[in-house]
Amino acid sequence: MLTFDHVTKRFGELAAIDDVSFEVKPGIITAVIGPNGAGKSTLVNMAAGSYGVTSGRILVDGVELQKLPKHRIAHAGLSRTYQNIRLFDGMSVVKNLEVALVPPRVGSLIANTFGLSGRAAAEERRARCHAVLERLGLAAHAERQAGSLAYGQQKLVELARAIVAEPRVLLLDEPAAGLNHGETEQLKQHILALRSPDLAMVLIEHDMKLIMSISDIIVVMNRGQLLAQGTAAEIRSNTEVQEAYLGQPGAIKDIEAAARGRRNRVRLREGEGLTWHQP
Amino acid sequence: MESPARAAAPASGAAAPRKLWPGALAMLAVPVLLLIFGPHLPSYPLRILDMILLYAVLGLGLNIIVGYAGLLDLGYVAFYAIGAYSWALLASGQFDIHLPFALVLLIGASLAGLAGILLGIPVLRLRGDYLAIVTLGFGEIIRVLMNNLDRVTNGPQGIARIDEAHLFGWTLSTPDDFLYLLVAMLVVVFLFVWRIQESALGTALSAVREDQDAARGCGINTTRVKLVAFAFSAFIGGGCGVVFAAMQRFVSPESFTFWESLVIVLVIVVGGLGNPFGALLGATLLILLPELLRAYADYRLLFYGMALVVIILARPRGLISRQYGPSWLMRRLGGGKC
Repeated sequence: MLTFDHVTKRFGELAAIDDVSFEVKPGIITAVIGPNGAGKSTLVNMAAGSYGVTSGRILVDGVELQKLPKHRIAHAGLSRTYQNIRLFDGMSVVKNLEVALVPPRVGSLIANTFGLSGRAAAEERRARCHAVLERLGLAAHAERQAGSLAYGQQKLVELARAIVAEPRVLLLDEPAAGLNHGETEQLKQHILALRSPDLAMVLIEHDMKLIMSISDIIVVMNRGQLLAQGTAAEIRSNTEVQEAYLGQPGAIKDIEAAARGRRNRVRLREGEGLTWHQP
Repeated sequence: MESPARAAAPASGAAAPRKLWPGALAMLAVPVLLLIFGPHLPSYPLRILDMILLYAVLGLGLNIIVGYAGLLDLGYVAFYAIGAYSWALLASGQFDIHLPFALVLLIGASLAGLAGILLGIPVLRLRGDYLAIVTLGFGEIIRVLMNNLDRVTNGPQGIARIDEAHLFGWTLSTPDDFLYLLVAMLVVVFLFVWRIQESALGTALSAVREDQDAARGCGINTTRVKLVAFAFSAFIGGGCGVVFAAMQRFVSPESFTFWESLVIVLVIVVGGLGNPFGALLGATLLILLPELLRAYADYRLLFYGMALVVIILARPRGLISRQYGPSWLMRRLGGGKC
């Protein structure tokens, strides 16, 4: 379980995150949504240790992440993917995954280098990587250079790298960004298949169709504050949320009606409901 | 029923070579040929061969930092100097200390390794150009220190009358004695560096090179692994320094200028960053080329510089690029997939 406990983050005068508290429970998918600048990415970056926390606590199963150096956060059971892909381009796909399984103690790294120990463990790590690649349909690319893969495949490799260490918390930062319909659908299946009682998943996304179809809980952020949380249906009917996105209550219905009536240029694609687009 | 077998197949490692001996034999050929034909060379080419081997070992050592971890170290000569002065001070009339060669080899390399760690602690927060500048400064500090510590190092006059090296009852004095020693060192260091590349440490270093922040996000303690890389690299540089001092039986600060650091960096850049074969080829070219150009006395450096520029322009990743390392050769000759 991932817990944000009265977390605040200030950049100078600006409170990017202002006293936010919520829990991400294992076994379900929790989406964090909100307009640009709402603080979604700041939240992820704080949990992953890229940003410090001004006040409050972030916990994974009771361990306070904000006190740990960044690399220890991974060992505490939290892993993430990035909004802009950050693979180790020059390394093979399987090596990319192996990075996440490198033994944490430097002493054992040195012992392994001299061949004193860890042969069997190294074999086992490699086998785990291949098993994850197999699971995500990447087995054929295991030995290829990560940087040479197509964009959609790179996104999947990043997901593979994030799950190979069997984290307890997985942060997915816009996993569907830049993917086409087919790839998004495939990603959705993979994410759904990852659901397990031991894994708390956080999904940050702009693709509302994807969010509405796979999230169990949606957390809405606006201007650094927690606006609402609930199931997809609850969020959809929440007037505050509508206001935050569109300026006034009931706006979604107005626009949907306008689009259906073709009275103006607002269009919605069939079956998609409302989407909003980032500039 | 066939599914478990199919699932197990990729896990066993698609890249493993079927046979190990063809690759091992091909690689062993180099030291064996050197040992068979090397000692028959006349004195002058033999000395050059010794220098090539020494720079190849230095290149292999520096490759750990520059090639694997991607940290540009322009002060590698400092570790070399620490090793050289270890032998010069601990086995000469300077203080009338005469320790055995094997012991000083260990002391010199360890001192250099320690210096690597001490240098690494403050500077490894830096990256790229900044790290290069600080390491360059460190190289100069060590040289100036040797130059000015008159009472200990004899200053610019250097230390002469260094002992003849004895290793387990075997006297190291002629160039062919050193050929045997250097070939042995090359084999040991080559295997060690290759082992690093293939081990989890190598994976961690590569990740640091590719994207340090993402590596930390994956749980790599980047500071620690960089320190380990610095220590290993400095250790090898120090060992080379001890051998160099024993070979020359004279050391002075002018052997350890920035130019030396640059040559070692060039050895691996020209040969191929992060590739142990590259260090061998680079050392061969960089030592041999000036000797071949000796006939053109005045234009020698000009031609040398031009040749380097052409090589870098034509092959920016070096003559042998990273992926064609020893593991590739083993797969290639062993019938595995490449």
